[in-house]
Amino acid sequence: MFLEINNIKKSFGEAENRIEVLKGIDLSIDKGEFCVLLGPSGSGKSTLLNIIGGIDSSDEGYISIDGEKTGEMKEKKLTLYRRKHLGYIFQMYNLIPNLTIRENIEVGAYLSDKPLDIDDMLQTLGIYEHQHKLPNQLSGGQQQRTAIGRALIKNPDILLCDEPTGALDYNTSKGILKLIETVNQKYGNTVVMVTHNDAIKYMADQVVHLKDGTIRKSYHNENKIPAEELDW
Amino acid sequence: MRNPLQKRLLRELRDEAGKYAVIFILLVATIGFVSGFLVADSSMRITYDESFEKYNIEDGYFDVKKEMTQEQKAVLEKNEITIYENYFMEEELTNGSTLRIYADREDVDRGCLMEGHLPEQAGEIAIDRMYAENNKIAVGDTIGSADREWTVSGYVALSDYSSLFSDNNDSMFDAVKFGVAIVPKEDFDTFSKKTLHYRYAWTYGTEPVNETAENDRAEDLMKAMGKAVSLESFVPRYQNQAIIFTGNDMGSDKGMMTALLYMIIVILAFVFGITISNTITKEANTIGTLRASGYTRGELVRHYISMPLLVTLIGAVLGNILGYTVLEKVVCQMYYGSYSLTKYVTAWSGEAFWKTTVVPIIMMMIINLLILNHKMKVSPLKFIRRDLSRRKQKRAVRLGVMVPFFTRFRLRIIFQNMSNYAMLLVGIIFANLLLFFGLALPEVLDHYQDDIQQNMLSSYQYMLSVPVSVMSEESKIKSLISMLEFSKAVETDNESAEKFTAYSLNTTDDICDGEEILLYGIQKDSQYVPLDVSEGQVYISKGYADKHLLKAGHTITLKEKYKDDSYDFVVTGIYDYMGTLSLFINQDQLNEMFDLDQDYFSGYFSDTEITDINDKYIGSVVDLEALTKISRQLDVSMGSMMYLVDGFAILIFMVLIYLLSKIVIEKNGQSISMVKILGYGNGEISRLYIFSTSFMVVLFLLLSMVIDYYFMLVIFRQIMLESFSGWIEFHITAGIFIKMFILGIVTYAVVAVLEVRKIRKVPMDEALKNVE
Repeated sequence: MFLEINNIKKSFGEAENRIEVLKGIDLSIDKGEFCVLLGPSGSGKSTLLNIIGGIDSSDEGYISIDGEKTGEMKEKKLTLYRRKHLGYIFQMYNLIPNLTIRENIEVGAYLSDKPLDIDDMLQTLGIYEHQHKLPNQLSGGQQQRTAIGRALIKNPDILLCDEPTGALDYNTSKGILKLIETVNQKYGNTVVMVTHNDAIKYMADQVVHLKDGTIRKSYHNENKIPAEELDW
Repeated sequence: MRNPLQKRLLRELRDEAGKYAVIFILLVATIGFVSGFLVADSSMRITYDESFEKYNIEDGYFDVKKEMTQEQKAVLEKNEITIYENYFMEEELTNGSTLRIYADREDVDRGCLMEGHLPEQAGEIAIDRMYAENNKIAVGDTIGSADREWTVSGYVALSDYSSLFSDNNDSMFDAVKFGVAIVPKEDFDTFSKKTLHYRYAWTYGTEPVNETAENDRAEDLMKAMGKAVSLESFVPRYQNQAIIFTGNDMGSDKGMMTALLYMIIVILAFVFGITISNTITKEANTIGTLRASGYTRGELVRHYISMPLLVTLIGAVLGNILGYTVLEKVVCQMYYGSYSLTKYVTAWSGEAFWKTTVVPIIMMMIINLLILNHKMKVSPLKFIRRDLSRRKQKRAVRLGVMVPFFTRFRLRIIFQNMSNYAMLLVGIIFANLLLFFGLALPEVLDHYQDDIQQNMLSSYQYMLSVPVSVMSEESKIKSLISMLEFSKAVETDNESAEKFTAYSLNTTDDICDGEEILLYGIQKDSQYVPLDVSEGQVYISKGYADKHLLKAGHTITLKEKYKDDSYDFVVTGIYDYMGTLSLFINQDQLNEMFDLDQDYFSGYFSDTEITDINDKYIGSVVDLEALTKISRQLDVSMGSMMYLVDGFAILIFMVLIYLLSKIVIEKNGQSISMVKILGYGNGEISRLYIFSTSFMVVLFLLLSMVIDYYFMLVIFRQIMLESFSGWIEFHITAGIFIKMFILGIVTYAVVAVLEVRKIRKVPMDEALKNVE
């Protein structure tokens, strides 16, 4: 199994204010698989994503990527792990405001020994003509495309997406989902996506429903449909 | 109800303790020092002004050859003056200095005991405090000359010697080589009459109402005295440098100190302004929501301005407490390092309160109000959308793809933080200017001393002292006899001696009006001043040319000090001599110009000591020691202050770099967090963010050196113009710049280490918490 999540537990707060956000999550995701984590607010899906991404740590359990356990890694190794394996996409883009669109993508390219071609990526993302603009000169959808470009340019093994369409309108969201789908098919990256949008589950290979820090339902999609056909 | 937002202030203070602590320290240190300076200055000024009455300081003195008879005294006192005996003797001490010893005076020019006790018995002496400290003589020590020995019973400050001028014609006093002292009257009476100098002090029955009246009164008195006694010298108080120099110099640094404070307040106000701007950007959503909910712009402006005002207020209060207690004493010690002042009492200074408390708060308020009002003019909706730019969308500067990515990244950080870096540039220029001053002054003084030593006109320059009796207008016969006596007595057999005429005139230019210029009338083939001084040729010393910005071809007008007669000279050339502000012309021409006898001369240049002229006809000997008095006194009085200036400069430098580089990192907190998530290591992030600031710091350090050099030329020139007669060239070596650069880099390195730690501490969830 490429990505193995084993008995992950996580709490926040102290004493009587302690809240158990993840109560022992077990999950396996194959290489190249598109996995969607669904659930209401507070179900623990973003926390799980952050633990997979190595930007948060679990209280118990471990994450293993291609046989490497992240919990045992020191900070330096964890940085290298993120550098080598992960691409991140957030709901709010998190672009570096004083770098141009192209330079924001270069931020990702720098981390890889063999990055993808930046011009190709800009073309694929449909933002080639905006490459010399600053993020605040672009629409939300274009900014999210840039964030995707930054995550993909280093051709990561796993693409972690935290509500990537949460701040976008219907059409733009569909465009972004199609892009992620294309990328997943073209480059074979494993995609783990956290979303509120129930419709997205239809395009996923694996669907995981979380509630109150536990997996309520997990299944593989036998009849997944292309992003183009999604509707909500 | 109180604005609930104000409850954030304490939390903000706690959360940003480091930032506010450094601002606070700088504020307290600056306000404290300036307050201490102003309080000390005002206390010292009061002490000085009150000393005239308290110690009954003379209105003038005159010297006569022989002790006056009671009848002569009575005649003089008919001029509505009281005359006091003020005899003294001078002893060459074994430590190489000269001590002028008076009897303990009870009626005029009384002394103030500073430490120990007044001399009570034969063999005891109380010496001037500053002279004692400069020569490391402690109470209880024994001092002596070849003939006598005394035990130092205490330190005193003599009210007529607040500046230790041994000769009223000196351009600067020398409190290392010259001191004053008192011994018990009974002991003084045992001194040989031969060694006594018959000096008399006088006080007016009714004080002249103003300076002009005092001048007229003194002139009348001199004429009246000339009829009754043979005057050797006549010095009214307003011309007595030992008394008035201190008063004239006091407060001369006040403007500079106040400017220093205001400069730092302005810099800190802008630092606050930048910090608040960043906070507003960070809290834009909240501000937009509050504005949308009904909070007025004024309420929010008042909230954000509270912190700078609060910090300034507390800083001012604490600074003033420090100023009135510890630092005032430090500054007073500096005064005591320069002048021999009597004991002072700390006096409340309204000026200090106004300048160090009220004005800084007003300045802080105005600058921050301007910044805040500008920032807050954006509509609530724009705040909510985080669209704070009131200009049209900014376009990115195009940077070629050929430029390495890291370089472009760093350049973008620099572009983004231009306002911070502009502030940093101002701060570095300012801090380096102080540092420059602190480092350069000792070198400038050293160079001056070396230059004087190498370029002296002659090893000895004797200025003859023409007895006042020669000038008697009333008794022409007496005057003639005195002149004949004098002419005979001042001939020498010394073969290296060369006669010259010296005459003093005052400048009339705008640069430094009323400054004394020494005119040398030199012989045609002078071996000491090798200039072609044929008729009409006029050379001026380099010191004079530099100070008064003169070149060959310029016409200068000089005038008599107390008369309206003026003289024009066209400068033929500049003579490389820095020792005095002088003009060189043909001796015959000079004698003719001032209606002096064709054979008249007033001094000798000589490479060997002249021993065959009676000391009483030698007014002064201008040797290396005399010429370097200015630099030595500056060294003694300001030397210790320079370390303080250096330390203060480094503090300002450090605080500003720390605050502004911290702002750069805070501003980019989210981006730093994001690139951490993406997999950038701390080293890489530091290289990106610290390097940009490092590059700017190095650039600014280099830039500031050039700018500060020119600033320094102007400031040093101004100091020389305002505070000193004479001229010291601002000459420094490259070593000063290297020292400044190294100090700047080392200071920055300390800050950079703190910043690297700060970058390490930026949490990765920062990017998840905030939206851009």
